[in-house]
Amino acid sequence: MTAPEIVFHDVSRFYGEVLGVNNVELRILPGITSLVGPNGSGKTTLMNLLTGLIHPDRGTIMVRGLSPRDPEHLMRITGYATQYDTAPRGTTGFDFVSSGLIVAGNTKKQAAELAWKALDRIGMTEAAHRKVASYSKGMRQRVRLAQAIAGDPDVLVLDEPLNGLDPLIRVETVALFQEFAAQGRHVILSSHVLQEVDIISDRVIFITNGMIVAEGEVRGVREEIHEHPGQYMIRCRDASRVASLLFGQDHITEIKLHDDRLGLLVMTRDRAKFSQALTGIALDGHTIESVMAVDANVDALYRYLIGGSE
Amino acid sequence: MNAAFRIRQTWVIARLHLGRVFFSRRSFWVYLLAMFPAVVFLAHGIQMKVQHRWTPSRVTPVALLESISIGAGENEVIEKAGTPIKDGSFQNKRQKQEIRHMQYYDGERWWYLSFRDGILQHKNSRQIFNFTQDRLAFAGMFQFYYLRLAIFFGCLGIFANLFRGEMLDKTLHFWFLGPARREVLLAGKYLAGVIAAVLVFTVGAVLGFVMMLWPHHAAQVTAYWQDQGLSHLFWYASAAALGCIGYGSLFLAFGLLFRNPIIPAIVVLFWENINGVLPKLLQKISVLHYAQSLCPVPVPTSDSWPLLFRLLISPADPPSPFTAVFGFFIVTALILWVSSLIVRRLEINYSTE
Repeated sequence: MTAPEIVFHDVSRFYGEVLGVNNVELRILPGITSLVGPNGSGKTTLMNLLTGLIHPDRGTIMVRGLSPRDPEHLMRITGYATQYDTAPRGTTGFDFVSSGLIVAGNTKKQAAELAWKALDRIGMTEAAHRKVASYSKGMRQRVRLAQAIAGDPDVLVLDEPLNGLDPLIRVETVALFQEFAAQGRHVILSSHVLQEVDIISDRVIFITNGMIVAEGEVRGVREEIHEHPGQYMIRCRDASRVASLLFGQDHITEIKLHDDRLGLLVMTRDRAKFSQALTGIALDGHTIESVMAVDANVDALYRYLIGGSE
Repeated sequence: MNAAFRIRQTWVIARLHLGRVFFSRRSFWVYLLAMFPAVVFLAHGIQMKVQHRWTPSRVTPVALLESISIGAGENEVIEKAGTPIKDGSFQNKRQKQEIRHMQYYDGERWWYLSFRDGILQHKNSRQIFNFTQDRLAFAGMFQFYYLRLAIFFGCLGIFANLFRGEMLDKTLHFWFLGPARREVLLAGKYLAGVIAAVLVFTVGAVLGFVMMLWPHHAAQVTAYWQDQGLSHLFWYASAAALGCIGYGSLFLAFGLLFRNPIIPAIVVLFWENINGVLPKLLQKISVLHYAQSLCPVPVPTSDSWPLLFRLLISPADPPSPFTAVFGFFIVTALILWVSSLIVRRLEINYSTE
C-alpha cells in the first residue's frame, strides 16, 4: 500500500498580473515538510491552495485523495493554523477552538472535551475563556495551533507556527509536530527560523518567486546542487601542510586557513574526489581530527538557492 | 454526509452567528429603525390620552356646531353655541383687521373657528381619537417608512455584513476552514440573518400596530379586532417578514459581490422606489412589489399631490397574495442560488479588501 500523498500537479496561481506560484509539481509524503523561502515567495499561497482558501488558475491539487474544492471532506482531515491572527468578534479562545468541532458534527459535550484537550496540549487552558482579541501575539499563535490540532487531523498545515512563541513552548510545539509526523501524518509548515527547520524537518521545499527551486531531504538537496562548491571544515594538527596537499587537487576551489592554524575551510567541486584525497592524506600519516560538511544545513542551502540570508 | 447532516450543520452555523447578529454594535441602529414606528405611535397615543384628560367638561352639541356656517357673525355664533372654551383676538395692524379665534369641544372633537372683522372665515374640527385616520397613518408609515426604508436599510446592515463584514475583519477564513460545504455556510449565515431580521422587524411592526391601537376606545378596538384587526396584523407581519427574507437574500449577494455594498444598495433603493412607473414585467423584479401587495390597507393618495409623486408611491398593479408570496420565494431562491455559485468560487484574499 502506498503512503497517502499530497500532490500538486502543474499548479499555477496568479493574483492579477502578479505571480503567486508557477508550475508547481510536488509530491509530499507524510512527515514534517518545511516550506522555506523569502517573504512573498509563495509559501502562504501554497498553503492556501492546499486548504482551498484560494484556487489554482491551472493544475490540480489532491490532499490524501481529496480535492481542496471539497471542504466538507478535506477539512475533516486537515487543520490549518493560518497567519491571520484575527478571530470572529467576541470569540473566546475556547469558542474559537470548539466552534469548528461543533460544525464538524460533534455534540457540544464532545466538542468541549476535544477543545479542552487541544488547549491543554498547547498550555492555553487558563486563558481559554478570555477573548481572543485580548491575547498576546504568542497566545494567538497557540490558540490557532490548538484549533488546527483539535480535530486530530491527518494533515496539519502551519503558517509560521513558531513565530512569537517563547523558547519553552517552542520546544513543546516542535515535539508535538514530531509526534504527529511519527504517526504517519503530514505536517507542513513554513518558517523563517532556518535552524529549527533544519532540526525538525524530514524534508524541505525551497521556494522563491513562486517557483520550487529544490525539494527533498536537506542532505539530498545539497547533493543535487553541483554548481555550488561543497564546504568542509577540517580540524588537524598540521593544517598548513594538509592545505598544501589539498591545493594540488584540481577539484579544490578555495582553502581558508583558520586563525588558530589548526583548522581549514575547504571548498570543493567534487565531494567524492575530495573524500578520496582526504583519505590519502590521512593514510600518509597526517592526523585528521575531524571533518564536517558545513553547508549541508538549510541555512547554507537557502543562501545557495535563494541568495542572501534569512 | 447526507442531507439531514447538512441541515443540522446549517442550523449549527446559524446558531453560532445569531449572537453576533443580535448583539453586535452594528445591530444597534437596526433596532432603532425597527422600533421607530412603535415610538412614534406611542408618543401619539400619549398625546391623545393627555389631550383627552384635559378636555373640558362643557360640551357643545355637534349638531349645533355643524349648523354654524361660514360668514356668520361673532355674536350670532356665541348666541348659538354659547361662550367658547378658548377665545383670543388680536389686531392685524398691517391689514388693519381684527382677528379672533374661538374653540369649542363637542365631546370627541375640537372645533376651531376663525373670524376676521367679526365674520367667520374658517371652521374646522379635529377629532382626538380618530381610529380610521390612525389606521391609515399606520398603513402609510408601514408602506413608506417601514418597508421602503427601515427594513431595506436594516437588512442591508445585517446581511451585507455576514460575508463582507468578516472579510473586513479578516475572519472569514475561520468559517471557510470548517468541514462544511460553502453552500451550507451560506445557508447558515443567511438563516441567522433571517431569524434576526424577521424577529426584529416583525416585532417592530407588531409593536407599532399595538401602539397605534392602544389609546383608542376599548369597544372600538375590540370590534376592529373581531372584524379585520387580526388579519391586518397578520399581513403586516407577513409583509415585514417577507421583506426581510427578500432584501436579506439580495444584500447577502451584494456582500459577496461588492467591496462596498452601499452603492448597489442605493441603486436598488432607487429601482424599488420607481417600481410603480416601470413596465409590468420589470415591476415583478422587486421585493417591494411583492411585499407591498401583502399590505392590507391601501394608502389613499390625494389628487392635489404632484403626479410624479403619486406615481412613485402608488404600488404597482398588485398581484394576489398567493402570487405575491410565490413570486417572492422564486426571486429569493434565484438570488440565493446565484450567491451559492459566488461563494463556491470565493477566495480568501484579505489584502485586496
